[in-house]
Formats: sequence, C-alpha cells, structure tokens
Amino acid sequence: MMKYTLFVGCNIPARVQQYELAARSVAVKLGIELVENQEFKCCGYPMQNSDNKPFLLMAARNLALAEKDGLDMMVLCKCCFGSLKKAAHQIQQDPGLQKEVNTFLAKEDLRYSGKSTIKHFLSILFHDVGLTAIKKKVSTPFTDLSVATHYGCHALRPSDVTRFDDPVRPSLFDDLVKVTGAKSIEWPLQLECCGAPLMGINDTLSMDLAERKLADCNRAGADYVCVGCPYCQMQFDRVQHMMLSERKLRHEIPGIVYPQLLGLAMGLSEESLGLKMNIYTISKLESYRQMETEN
Amino acid sequence: MFYTLMVYIALSVFTIGLTYRLSSWFRFNVGINTGGVTPWTRIRAACKGVAGLFNKEKLTLLGIVFLQDILLQKHIQKQDRLRWIMHFLIFSAFMFLLIFHALDQIIVTPIFDRFYLTMNPWLIIAGIILLVGLSIALYRRYVLKVPRLKTSAMDLYTIIILLLITLSGLFMEMTKLTSYDYYQKIWWVHILACLFGLAFLPFSKMFHMFTTPLSLLANAVMDENSDPANIATRQVMELDACTRCNTCSRHCSVAVACDHLGNDTILPAERMHFLKEYIANKNISSKKLAAIQQGIYLCTNCDRCTVVCPAGINLRELWFSAREELLRDKPPVDLMMTPFSFFRGLKQPQIDQEQYDSPLENVKSMLTAGGDFSAEMDAAPIVIGQGSNELHEVLGLSERMESFSYCFSCENCSTVCPVVAHYTDSQQSLDLLPHQIIRSVALGLKEMATGSRMLWNCLSCYQCQEHCPQGVKVTDIFNTLKTVSIEDHK
Repeated sequence: MMKYTLFVGCNIPARVQQYELAARSVAVKLGIELVENQEFKCCGYPMQNSDNKPFLLMAARNLALAEKDGLDMMVLCKCCFGSLKKAAHQIQQDPGLQKEVNTFLAKEDLRYSGKSTIKHFLSILFHDVGLTAIKKKVSTPFTDLSVATHYGCHALRPSDVTRFDDPVRPSLFDDLVKVTGAKSIEWPLQLECCGAPLMGINDTLSMDLAERKLADCNRAGADYVCVGCPYCQMQFDRVQHMMLSERKLRHEIPGIVYPQLLGLAMGLSEESLGLKMNIYTISKLESYRQMETEN
Repeated sequence: MFYTLMVYIALSVFTIGLTYRLSSWFRFNVGINTGGVTPWTRIRAACKGVAGLFNKEKLTLLGIVFLQDILLQKHIQKQDRLRWIMHFLIFSAFMFLLIFHALDQIIVTPIFDRFYLTMNPWLIIAGIILLVGLSIALYRRYVLKVPRLKTSAMDLYTIIILLLITLSGLFMEMTKLTSYDYYQKIWWVHILACLFGLAFLPFSKMFHMFTTPLSLLANAVMDENSDPANIATRQVMELDACTRCNTCSRHCSVAVACDHLGNDTILPAERMHFLKEYIANKNISSKKLAAIQQGIYLCTNCDRCTVVCPAGINLRELWFSAREELLRDKPPVDLMMTPFSFFRGLKQPQIDQEQYDSPLENVKSMLTAGGDFSAEMDAAPIVIGQGSNELHEVLGLSERMESFSYCFSCENCSTVCPVVAHYTDSQQSLDLLPHQIIRSVALGLKEMATGSRMLWNCLSCYQCQEHCPQGVKVTDIFNTLKTVSIEDHK
C-alpha cells in the first residue's frame, strides 16, 4: 500500500477544489492511501521574492510535520512543490541555517532533518504507481482526443533542485496522458510559463502570456490543455474566462486538471471528479470516451 | 429604594450602550464597501432584508442554523471537543438561569402561573454547571495554554464577572436557610455583580450572545449578491460578533510569518481587533498603518479563517473590503510585487480600474529607479571597482548566489526569457535584459541591478537559470535582488 501525507496548499481548498476532489478519487481507485494533516500551512511560495527567512521557515515547518508523521509528502500544486523542494535544498546546503530553522521549529516540538521526500502527484502516479498499474484501471479510454500537456515551471525548473523530469525534453506527463487513450500533442510553447506569477502585478503581461500559450496549443490542434497545478488551472480556466470579456479571444480552449482526465478514463463519476466546478464546461469530454462494450 | 435605583441605572446604561452599538452598525463601514450610503438607507435596506426572510425556504434555513449552530454550536464542536463542552456548559446554564431565575417574573410567570422557584436544586445544579464551564475556561487559558489563544483584559473580565455572579449566587442559595444576615450581604454582592454585568454588557465580550447568533443567521441567508448596503451593515456587526477566540489565527496559513516577523496583524483575529478600532477612528500612526498594510496583504486568501469561524463571520469578504481601503491613497505596499497579488488580480473586475491600478503603480515607481539606464550605459566604459561590494556581500552569503561571477555574457538568459520575447522593444520596455542585470551585479551597480522593470516583471519561471551554460543561478539571484530592494525601501 502506498501511503502519503497530502499537502493541498492554499489555492486548492479555496479556488480549485475540483483538483483535490479528483485527486482523492483517483488515489482511492489506484490504492494510494492519503493521510490528513490539518497542521499543514502555506508552503512559503508567495514570500520567496520578498523575504527569504519567513519563506524558509514556512516551508520547513511543513516538511518537519511530514517528517513527524513519518511519511512522504504528496503535493498537488507545482508552486508548493517547487518551493518546498527549494527550501529543503537551501537548508540541506547550509548546516548553520538548518540549526537556525530547527531552533525556530523546536517551539512547536518539531524538527527538520530531511527524512521525508517531497513528491508531486504526477511523479507519484508515474514512478510509484506506474503506467502499467494505471493502464489496468483505465476502463473507458478516450479516442480521438487531443490533449496539450502543460508541465508547469516550478516542477520542471530548476531541475537540479526539483528533479521532476528532463527540463528540456520532459515526457512524464505526456506518458500519463497517453495512458488514458488520449493523444498528447506536440506544441512549441509547452514548457513556457502560464503567466500566473505576474497576475495581480502586471495583468496585461500575465494575460498576454496565457493567451499566447492558449493560441499555440489551439494551433497545434489540442482539444484541452491539461495541467497539474492550481495556478496554471486558474490561468487557463478562470483567467481565460475573464479575458473573454476584456479582450477578444479568437479561440478558447478549456483547461483540465490531470486527475479529472484520468478519472473519466477510469470510469469515475462526474461528481467525484468535480467536473462542474470548472468554469469552462468540460463534460463534453465524455463524448470522447470509448464506452465499455458488453459481451 | 436603592435596589430600584440601581436596577434603573443598570438598565439605562445597558439601553444607551445597546443603542450606541446598534447605531454603529449603520453608521460605520469596513473598507471600500459603502457606496456613500446614509445610515437611514442602510436601516431601510436592513428592514427590507428582514422582511424578505418570511418565506418557507429562508425560514427553514434559519431554523436549521438556529438549531445546529446556535443551540448545539456545531462549529465549536468540530474544532475542539473540550472547548465545546466548556462553551456548551456555560451557555446552557447561563440561559437556564437567565430565563428561569433572573427573568422569571417577566418570562416564566406569565406563562405558567404559580411558578415559583424556592430553594431548589435546579438553581444549584445550574450554578455548579456554570462553575464547571468557567473552570474549564481557566484551565484552557492557564494550564493547557491552547496554542495562539491570547488572554486579554476583556477575556479576564468576562470570566471574573461570571465567576462572581455564579459564586455569589451559589453561596446565597446555600446560606438562605442558615443565616439570614449573611444571606442579605451576599444577595447584594450577587445583585450588584449582575447589574454591573448587565450595564457593561454592550461594551464587553458578553455582547457576543446577541451578535454571534446574528452573524450566523445573517451569513446563512446572505451571499455576495445581497444588497451592498446590507453587506456593509453586516460587516460592521461581524466585528462585534468576533470574540477573539483565535480559532482563525490557529488555522491561519501564514501564521508562521507572523511568528518570524513579529507583526501580530498578520493573524486574522488581531486584524479583526484592529478593524474594530479603525472603523471609528481612521487616524492612525504611520507605523501602525505600515504594520496593518503588511498584515492584511500577507494573506494567501486560502479561506480557512472563514471556514472555521465559529461565529460564521465572512472574513473573506471583510479582508477584501478592508485591504482595498488600506491600499487606497496610502503609502505603497511592497508585498504587492509578490504572488500574494494573484488573488487581487482575480478580483480585479470588482475593483474600480483606477483604484486597482494606482496602488500598483505607486509600488512599482518606488521600486524601479525611474527606468532609464541608457545614460549610465552610454557613459561606458564602466570602470571596474566603481560599484560597491555591498551586493556581493549579500549574494555571496550562499554558494548558489556567488555564481554571478561565472557569467561571460553569452546572453542565453535573455534569449530564452518569455518576458523579453514578449516585447518587440524589450530594452525600452524593460530597462535592462536579464544578462545586463547579472552584469550589473558583477560590477556592483546596485541601483541598476535592483531597479529595472525587467527584474520586477520576472515570472520566476527559471528558464534563464536552466539554460545558463555557466551555471549562473539567474532566477535565484533575481529573487534575492528583489528581497534586497524591498528591504532597502522599508
């Protein structure tokens, strides 16, 4: 039995609940046991370009909590994943810093020594569960569905820290999409940023970048853009919807979080995958499914 | 005679206090949510809102909330079993004593004639239950030391006045038959404590016995599409419904930042406390303003506070409204240049365009040096050693940061940068390109290194760092440069 402590972060429970819902449904189906820890808090990501110390402490506290549970972490958000990884890296490189962090954590009876591993949801599916095991559970694979995979910057890079996949030619996510029967298309801007980090700071630039990506995957013939991060999902769902009224979009392409796609291929219900929580309607996806043939 | 006088004084202070508190709900507003509405239109809107509740659907909803959240206090039970036991014991015994003992002549006698509670076990049992509840309250605060539970003078007052009323009441009942003289003295203590408690009630934490149920009921039937006048009224009322129980602070996502930075207003319960004073008096010191600006912006908007609040307060909307006001025509807030702004970006359609842009422009013009570095660049060659070592010292602290010195200006970072690629006139739009920032660092030119629009439009997507053939940690250096600049502008 694979067992992890689930780290959902801040955006998912407030704005992208469908991601958690679908990930949990998929996890049950694949025999992944998820342990709750109500004590997990912000990963520190929003602090990392304004004040490094609180960023490190916020991240380290979560890592220490996972360590206390004696479990590896399953992280859904790529920005949470990236910053937890970065903080762990920074602390491990600097024994003085580790001591300082631990003095702070000791107030809550916590300690960080780097024992538990930080894993992204997609890595767990690919490495720990494995494509063969997933394939066995795919009961209603898609046909004629083209999906554009969006890897997400903070999982891929800096690759010496995150060690998620090959940063220049990654394939993990594409393989996970292919297992559902869908086609994973090639598109030039696949590894570019979704624009989310500048949302609220330079909205025009943020939206331009998102629009450019969406246009690119549309041109490449994708029906959906698939993500594994709440920030990217919000850019491609909520922000794309906002752009509709603010600028004339020539094309729209709905965003979908990976466990929704996989869940549908596994025959899970629309409710258990939170399909209705997406702003863009994605129930049309059903029509691509190859229904189980009775014989 | 003296007794009657005291009762009237207590009742009038209570009535004046109550009127004052109620009127504040219609006079004040939290943050931007006002629309220049006068108190009278707010009162009219509230009446209209209440009138609209008399239909089956709404009444059923209110009934459920009344039963689950007000009588059974499910919200508290979900949080903490011991706390629920404490609160439920105090609540039930207090209500019992209030209805069947304190107000028996007004409430009970007219309904059941011949009702008379003599020396009876019920009073003593209720008194003991109340005492147990209060003991748990003291135990939680002073022995168990529940995390983030702070004890203010108000919390202490509430426990003391209730203890005084309960203990004197119990002694009174016990001495009733044994010593009349003693009984009389204690009777006075009991009556005076009760009257003081009553008179002071609208100004004390005890006021939550009215406001918390009201907040729970109001939030059950209202949503973001409700009449803005009613939302404004509700938000002020919600400040009164907060008992500073610290459930929100306990669950706050960024509480760790508060522990490190020592700014209490990062915690939601403390923000509420601040807002209570702020709505009545907006003249605050610049130091306090800077603290609350940081406190209210340093928020991931994870909604946890709203989800856990036992008083059902819609903290999410309170923050939004208050935050916008604390940005308007106020000193710039550096945290606006961080991903904390993402949420504000999503809410942009709900904010007046000019009011949305101007705080952002303020902080940008504070952090970027005015942009144009062409004069400096044309004045080349920049003499090595002309800059300072300050940046090197900051960056040199970690091994990763020192990497700037490996740069041989191949410009790969600028070539792969999606922000640079986005602009046809990137140099004009961004002041410097990534490789130029790294060169500025090497030359010790702090103003150039930290003041370009390129730096503040960096996505932190790590393309530059990943593609650097020399292993320069470009993005990490950029992040550090931002922290240096923010620190300098404090």
